[in-house]
Amino acid sequence: MRHRFPARMSAVAAVAALALLAQMPAAGQQATRGSQKTAAPASTGFTVPRTAWGDPDLEGVYTFATLTPFQRPAAQAGKDLLTEEEQKALEEQLKKKQEENIVTNEHFSYNALWFASDQGRPTGRTSILIDPEDGRLPPLTERGQKLRAEMQAHAATKRIGKDQLVDTWEDISLYNRCLARPMPRVTQEYNQGAQILQTPGYVTIFYESMHDARVIPVDGRPHLDSSIRLWNGDSRGHWEGDTLVVDWTNFSDKQKSDGSAPFGGFPQGNLHVTERFRKVSANTLDYLVTVEDPTIWTRPFTFGLPWRGDDPTYRGPDDLFEYACHEGNYRMMENSITATKAVRAAKAGKK
Amino acid sequence: MIGATTRTITLAFLMLLAMHGLAQQRPAYRAPRLPGTQIPDLNGIWQVMNSANWDLEPHAAAPAPFPALLGAIGAEPAGQGVVEGGKIPYQPWAAAKKKENFEKRFTRPTTHELNDTTGDPEAKCYLPGVPRATYLGLPFQIIETGRQILLSYEFASATRMVFMDRKPTPPADSWMGWSIGSWDGDTLVVDVTAQNDKTWFDRAGNFHSDALHVVERYTPLSPYHLMYEATIDDPKVFTRPWKISMPLYRRIEPDIQSLEFKCVEFSEEFIYGHLVDKPNK
Repeated sequence: MRHRFPARMSAVAAVAALALLAQMPAAGQQATRGSQKTAAPASTGFTVPRTAWGDPDLEGVYTFATLTPFQRPAAQAGKDLLTEEEQKALEEQLKKKQEENIVTNEHFSYNALWFASDQGRPTGRTSILIDPEDGRLPPLTERGQKLRAEMQAHAATKRIGKDQLVDTWEDISLYNRCLARPMPRVTQEYNQGAQILQTPGYVTIFYESMHDARVIPVDGRPHLDSSIRLWNGDSRGHWEGDTLVVDWTNFSDKQKSDGSAPFGGFPQGNLHVTERFRKVSANTLDYLVTVEDPTIWTRPFTFGLPWRGDDPTYRGPDDLFEYACHEGNYRMMENSITATKAVRAAKAGKK
Repeated sequence: MIGATTRTITLAFLMLLAMHGLAQQRPAYRAPRLPGTQIPDLNGIWQVMNSANWDLEPHAAAPAPFPALLGAIGAEPAGQGVVEGGKIPYQPWAAAKKKENFEKRFTRPTTHELNDTTGDPEAKCYLPGVPRATYLGLPFQIIETGRQILLSYEFASATRMVFMDRKPTPPADSWMGWSIGSWDGDTLVVDVTAQNDKTWFDRAGNFHSDALHVVERYTPLSPYHLMYEATIDDPKVFTRPWKISMPLYRRIEPDIQSLEFKCVEFSEEFIYGHLVDKPNK
């Protein structure tokens, strides 16, 4: 097994979600442009604590798991927020579905376990994407369309009927090869825990998945030379009031979010991301992200979701267990490549 | 009278001994403190300057693993060794196993089982374990808050949490183990247990079992140096506990930062290449 067993089902989720809803900014108040100064309106009665050296204190163990989809489903077109009743009904429906997934699966399958137990809660919105206002990704540029067509054409050569072909390790997604997780992190299937640690001059985000530590200097230094390209990019932070603003560049073109991930598998070399982290209650960090790549998207887009510090899955730093991944991949590669040879041989025999 | 004199002499002797011990174990240097606390501040980017990853024991220079391919590039630099007393105290069977490890260090695994046990895990870009992560050669960053320390290594993006304010029990064995920290004066002491048996100590095939217990000590010697010591105990493999020590050097270049050495992609052809008839690149 490549990942740890997530022994947790959240019984208190529904109750806690209502409390969370109250803390989420209302749609009208949520600024949606990259130039905005704050992520969320000040919540009454909460003062952001300070570190010993005077920075806003964002430290904690959080999860960004949520059941809210990245883009707004067509059925909810024109609708931005859920009412409290709708939210409650959705929570109950999802919880029931999760339990059914586990109880009715007699083999207690890998997928049912993983996907059912670490999915967080709906945010109270109909999509994680906040801007454009319709909750849908903006249109692609000409280059974006061309890249997508190429990706689809390549994918078609790696399929025979229902079988997805793995002729070499390179036909496996970057994520399953354990090379890297798409950044920014949003809507993963599991292990969506993260810890923020602060030291003078740095904010570090430690992601459980792929055991990645993002050490973000907040000392005003310039970005790395543009020739240095990194899977996880180069981050520089500064404080705007209580908000940590992170300017994120220097991604490698090798870094491609998987086709199934929100940004659709495009090379990230030209990506420019602006993140805003702000503590809005003792247990909630508001996370607002603006993504720009004028070579792929016709305009920037912004998504937002809470990082929750009150989830029973992630109570403390010892709940972020080692994510050894590549170390257990040999059999997957062996099986996939061997099976693909058999599929290709069978097809050749039929001819 | 005689008793009193003896006591005085004994006392003087003990004081001398204590002062000697003090001079040896407690350098005059006092580390800076984390803001607002009395906790020594070890934050920074650190790196070794030795050839311990080639061989913990004393060794002469040696040719590269594939000299026909690489020439003198990649050859092994000589080193005086970092093991106290020079030799690792192997049990006889384990000394033979170490030799076999070295001979088969570049064996390409052909089955799942062999992949776990054959060849240097560094070649496969597997998480390096403790203490190898420290002296594998690439920089690592100490991120120390008052409650916890995150050790972030460039190699394979390996990370370790060191718990300082509590002692949670390890839920399972892992590649990087389970680290509980404490302070002995200005020295950070880290007790590391629950490591699996799949990591090695170096490229020479030095190894351990899942009974490995490592106690690390990080002692500040100056603003720019930490003394790193690790006591290694594994009753299944060694005849007694043994110790390594080496200085760690602070990286002081302006705007220095940890970069990435995500080596999975560098290892895939080595690990999986034989599975593919002809790579379709």
